Amino acid sequence: VSAPTRDRPPAAPAAGGAARRPRRLALEPRQEVSRAVLVAVPVLAVLLALTVSALFLRLTGHDPLTVYRVMVRASFASRFGIADTLVSATPLILTGLAALVSFRVKLWNIGAEGQLYLGAVAAAGVALLVGERLPTSVNVVLMIVAGALGGMIWIAIPALARAWLRTNEIITTLLLNSVALLFINWLIFGSRSIWRDPDSGQFPQGHRIPAAAEFPRFGTTRVHLGLLVALLAALVIWFVLTRTRFGFRMRVLGDSEDAARYAGVPVRGMVLAVLLLSGALAGIAGAAEVGGLSRRLDPASLAIGLGYAGIIVAALARLNPGGVVLVAVLLGGVRNAGTALQSLPDRVPMEVAVMLEGAILLFALGSEVLVRYRIRWPWERPPDDDGGEAT
Amino acid sequence: VNDSVLAFTLAAAVAAGTPLALAALGELVTERAGILNLGVEGMMLLGAVTTFLVASATGSTALAMLAGAAAGAALALAHAMLSISLRANQIVSGLALVIFGTGLSTYLGRPVEGVPLPPGARLGRWSLPWLQDLPFVGRVLFQQDLVVYATWVLTALIALYLFRTRPGLSLRAVGESPATADAMGLRVNAIRYVHTVAGGVLCGVAGAYLILARVPAWSQAATTNGIGFIAIALVVFASWRPWRALVGAYIFGLALRANFALQAAGVTAIPAEFLAMAPYLLTILVLIALSASDLRHRAGAPDALGLAYVREER
Repeated sequence: VSAPTRDRPPAAPAAGGAARRPRRLALEPRQEVSRAVLVAVPVLAVLLALTVSALFLRLTGHDPLTVYRVMVRASFASRFGIADTLVSATPLILTGLAALVSFRVKLWNIGAEGQLYLGAVAAAGVALLVGERLPTSVNVVLMIVAGALGGMIWIAIPALARAWLRTNEIITTLLLNSVALLFINWLIFGSRSIWRDPDSGQFPQGHRIPAAAEFPRFGTTRVHLGLLVALLAALVIWFVLTRTRFGFRMRVLGDSEDAARYAGVPVRGMVLAVLLLSGALAGIAGAAEVGGLSRRLDPASLAIGLGYAGIIVAALARLNPGGVVLVAVLLGGVRNAGTALQSLPDRVPMEVAVMLEGAILLFALGSEVLVRYRIRWPWERPPDDDGGEAT
Repeated sequence: VNDSVLAFTLAAAVAAGTPLALAALGELVTERAGILNLGVEGMMLLGAVTTFLVASATGSTALAMLAGAAAGAALALAHAMLSISLRANQIVSGLALVIFGTGLSTYLGRPVEGVPLPPGARLGRWSLPWLQDLPFVGRVLFQQDLVVYATWVLTALIALYLFRTRPGLSLRAVGESPATADAMGLRVNAIRYVHTVAGGVLCGVAGAYLILARVPAWSQAATTNGIGFIAIALVVFASWRPWRALVGAYIFGLALRANFALQAAGVTAIPAEFLAMAPYLLTILVLIALSASDLRHRAGAPDALGLAYVREER
């Protein structure tokens, strides 16, 4: 069984094994992380992503520098550009928070996408049913509550199954995304539901919500109340995580389920509560999209991967609520710039934005290792080279 | 039900299940090594668009399929580097693959969106002599294309490899308990790399097959259509066993095709969208039932699935 392998002695635990191990590139955990590393690593990741995407742009005959210049100008260099970036960032903040709360306790809700659709369905439903007779303030509150409930209903079965039967929530939440997409397609294209505009014959579309249910916008921009809701949610989540007993229990549970159980944390209840909270946040994102942006249940403008992108936002933000807001604005800018690219003379496809988003994520994930570990080069002498094990 | 309608529907189910089976087998091999790769959809899409571009340029089916396999392998290699060497979260890395793969393939495929494949490059039907004349079964199973038959051989080979060979035993050891495998002298990370990339090859081939045999033209929205995600569920459904994955893929293929068959037969009582939900809901029910009966552990989920192995931190 113990056939010798090329790079390690046959009997690893034998005395002196560690000392004889050949020197090579290795990673060792960092004890503390300096501020410079925390800033340099994400910058490096973005630069690498831009370089790789530039390669693909060059290969397909576009000038990368022009493309990037247009993207920056479109998203970050003018008042309206910044406003549109914030509009794109709004749902990303909320879905980012949805991923954050579940990932913090090592629960993997991959279903923010579907929960967002159901939140949109619920919010649009409330607006269409009672919106006309109520003042805007009441409508907004009702729609947000409905959105949260819609998201919670959609995650309820995976959450209950996870809490009581330990059913893998990755797969159940993931599959429900496809079901949710089929469901909203059915509401608009396959049925005569209240969500469908009765006057749209040949090309069915969502029924526009009453004016009294539209989220107010700021000035002449498209930035809407949803942004405030999202920022408030980030603040609340930060508070809950750092200042409440619930947040403390989340931390204990995230570190070790056994420890949590011994410490008297009601594990099932916490699992259920955290997943429901995650679903509610994603649902609110759907409500804000309907109330503030599309103003109808519109499958095409909802199904743009906002839930999946939220997972990226949370990961890049290292599960930090303030970081979620920052990363969401950055990714919102990248997404927003996609449309501007099509106005270029050589018609750069807007999917450059999606490609760039994926590349940033891949490099950010890869470079994250530099934050957690430091590289020990082959020529460096490891600190415990002939200590410990060798005795 | 009319005999020939049934045979036709079942044959269509086998054809529709084949890309699913290929992708699920790839994911199965990867997961057996303890690596969870949720990026199947991305690998399939990139495989599909690469296949299409190479087929259009060269007209060669074999070259195109090779290119698709290589594209899937390249993405899988990125996942392996991230999750094995750089110890990134496998779930997030897999989803990054989906987003990057979708973005890149849509970008590359934009100029050829809706363009049909050159007719010479399409994978033709290749009926098996003798067998195709069998009553009923012949029409269902043996009047298909080469890839369908190759999938059966592949399933047998993977089953043999996993359960009857020493490297297969090593693979399972790495997936169940990397620390033990390491102590036995197995090179855990090398084994994980190889099988993650092998899984990517199969997912790339699944995408290639979609383009060469299933869909009439490249279209980002209509090529994979979520098959990659069903494939991931299928692995659980099949409790990490190759033959069950193949049969499961055909059952899902039937569910995908039943939609069309029922509509063609004039059954409109159930909306098409609800029929299309059936495979997903079925999988969720099976998953819940499995965990309720506590079969999951014995059913073969690799113990170390989704966990990075760091020798110093074990």
